[in-house]
Amino acid sequence: MSTFQQTLFVARKDLLLGWRARTRTLAVALFGMVTLVLFSFAVAADGEVGVSAAAGFLIVALLLSSILSLEESFRLETEDRALEGLLLLPVDPVAIFYGKAIANFVLLVLLGPVLLPLTAIFFSLELDGANLLGMALLWLLAAAGIAAPGTLYASMTSRVTGRDVVLPLLLFPLTLPILMAGVRSFDLILRGDAMSQLKGWTLLLAAFDLVYWVLCGALFSRTLEE
Amino acid sequence: MTPSVITRSLGKRFGRKWALAHVDLEVAAGQGLLVVGDNGSGKTTLLRLLAGLLLPTLGEVEILGSSPQQPGSEARSHLSLVGHQGFLYEALTPLETLALWNRLGGRRKSVAELENLLAEAGLAADRDTRVSGFSSGMRKRLSLTRLHLENPRVVLLDEPFTALDQAGREWLLSTLSRLRADGAALIVASHDPQRAAPICDRAIRIERGQISWQGSLGDLESAS
Amino acid sequence: MRNVATGIGLLGILLLLVGSYVGLFVAPPERHMGDVQRIMYVHVPTAWIGLLCSTFAMIFAVAYLWTGRNRWDDRLVGALEISVILGGLLLVQGMLWGRVTWGIWWTWDVRLTTSLIMFLLFAGVLALRSFVEEPLRRATWSSVATIIAYVDVPLVYFCVRWFRSLHQVQSSPETVHSSMIIPLRINAFAMLFIAIWLIAWRARIESKSRGAERPPERIEIQGAQNG
Repeated sequence: MSTFQQTLFVARKDLLLGWRARTRTLAVALFGMVTLVLFSFAVAADGEVGVSAAAGFLIVALLLSSILSLEESFRLETEDRALEGLLLLPVDPVAIFYGKAIANFVLLVLLGPVLLPLTAIFFSLELDGANLLGMALLWLLAAAGIAAPGTLYASMTSRVTGRDVVLPLLLFPLTLPILMAGVRSFDLILRGDAMSQLKGWTLLLAAFDLVYWVLCGALFSRTLEE
Repeated sequence: MTPSVITRSLGKRFGRKWALAHVDLEVAAGQGLLVVGDNGSGKTTLLRLLAGLLLPTLGEVEILGSSPQQPGSEARSHLSLVGHQGFLYEALTPLETLALWNRLGGRRKSVAELENLLAEAGLAADRDTRVSGFSSGMRKRLSLTRLHLENPRVVLLDEPFTALDQAGREWLLSTLSRLRADGAALIVASHDPQRAAPICDRAIRIERGQISWQGSLGDLESAS
Repeated sequence: MRNVATGIGLLGILLLLVGSYVGLFVAPPERHMGDVQRIMYVHVPTAWIGLLCSTFAMIFAVAYLWTGRNRWDDRLVGALEISVILGGLLLVQGMLWGRVTWGIWWTWDVRLTTSLIMFLLFAGVLALRSFVEEPLRRATWSSVATIIAYVDVPLVYFCVRWFRSLHQVQSSPETVHSSMIIPLRINAFAMLFIAIWLIAWRARIESKSRGAERPPERIEIQGAQNG
């Protein structure tokens, strides 16, 4: 079995586990919704906030929900040391990392169809066919940028006491470029890109994704050493 | 013939404490070694080092001529460890669990063969129940099925008899006897020398991380 | 080695005294800002040496992952802690400066924001470290997290620059008189020496806390010989 096949197999396993625990997966989406509601009341109860603020709420909701999703992904691995059971097999640790990262990416992407329309409704944004495509691309890039370092960090923090505080502490400052690039791109997609800045932000997001998908994959096997 | 398992002045330190030190072992193919010792003496650490889950602080481990630490090494595909934990996913069924180990381990057993393995383990009726609904004995049986799946040449067992009923223990013993007859080296850590006796011919005692005694199984009782 | 480090540290303190004296009393007051500008003689070196220490941390992290030798982990802790301390000092100095010149404690300016995020990134690595007890794991995890965090710094910097550029124009660097450059340079070297001294000191403390490198005495094995 090639490393690529192993990767897909691990991803499939994680997605199956996510599907089996679908009430929990749904609860994570619900949590994202709740944060959106909180933000809207914290700033303006009548929903009169700018596009930038709405975009910020959306990405922050994604970040907050990602913590729950990432922690769950490794709770299943450490509960009965199932991950150790996989490592005892002649399987490439790189395949385990990318498999789990892909599954986490998919779970984060799936929050999009819930959170994106809700943001549009709550904050009266005009979503149409033209900007929906850009929005979808932005969402994919943002989710990918969180999934890779998130998977690496969650694999470490799942094995320490006090994990619930360490993971956000590490992940949130790291993913600030995603928040900034996400908010700006969102704004440009909805309000027009007069100065052609969108390309730059998209490239920055893509660069972030590329750097961390490569780097985290290379470093993952070292974090397993004891 | 070179022994299947060799350790040379193996030592492992956790923080300030040496969990294991100066361990020199040789276990030949077809041999069974019983490891006894009090709680916290270092038995589990020894097995985890042999399986490659821990990196030695000092010394080295050689399983069938290669180091088990390297991922994808020969050693990895020929050894099985069954420990206190079952390595199980709660939300998977036994059949899915076996399929996962089968595929990721690079083995090509058919679904029918996997179902046979479950039947041998006495889990045929529960093949579609999720592991979360299993009793501790059933979980143990499922994780022991790995031995049938992998047909290992080196078997590492940490307290294998706990949680098993009479029938389960007999099933495990017959599995281990068959593997040993086929040339597997067995290393069994157990508080229960009598139960492990049929499959072991030598014993060592570990005290505070070091081998303090070694000899035949018969001498073990008079020594303790 | 230890004496060399202490010597470097003492030299650093001496230089810092000289540099601060020159900065406070010899250098002329700045034309627009007056005496307040003198905080630059510590502020700029703090920023430089803080960035340098985090670069040291990155190098030590790579060296640890490469060689697996404990001494790199010892130095890594030193470099991480000093860069977090300097980062904290930098923020405080920046806020003091901002309060006097702009009348506000905080502004989301490029350098201030990047410093804040760097501070948070490396403080996070130290937090992770404090939660791990097993030394081997602690060392590899600290190294991995340091590399991940360090790579983020340029990304954050460019992001903040583009992000802010919508609202305010970057001020162009002013021409600086040479009498202002001298105390700046003296203090930069002073802080570099002090940082090296502190890192060496911290590394020594860390290596002492590791416990016995050698295993306990071999005990005699009872019973029949291997046969």
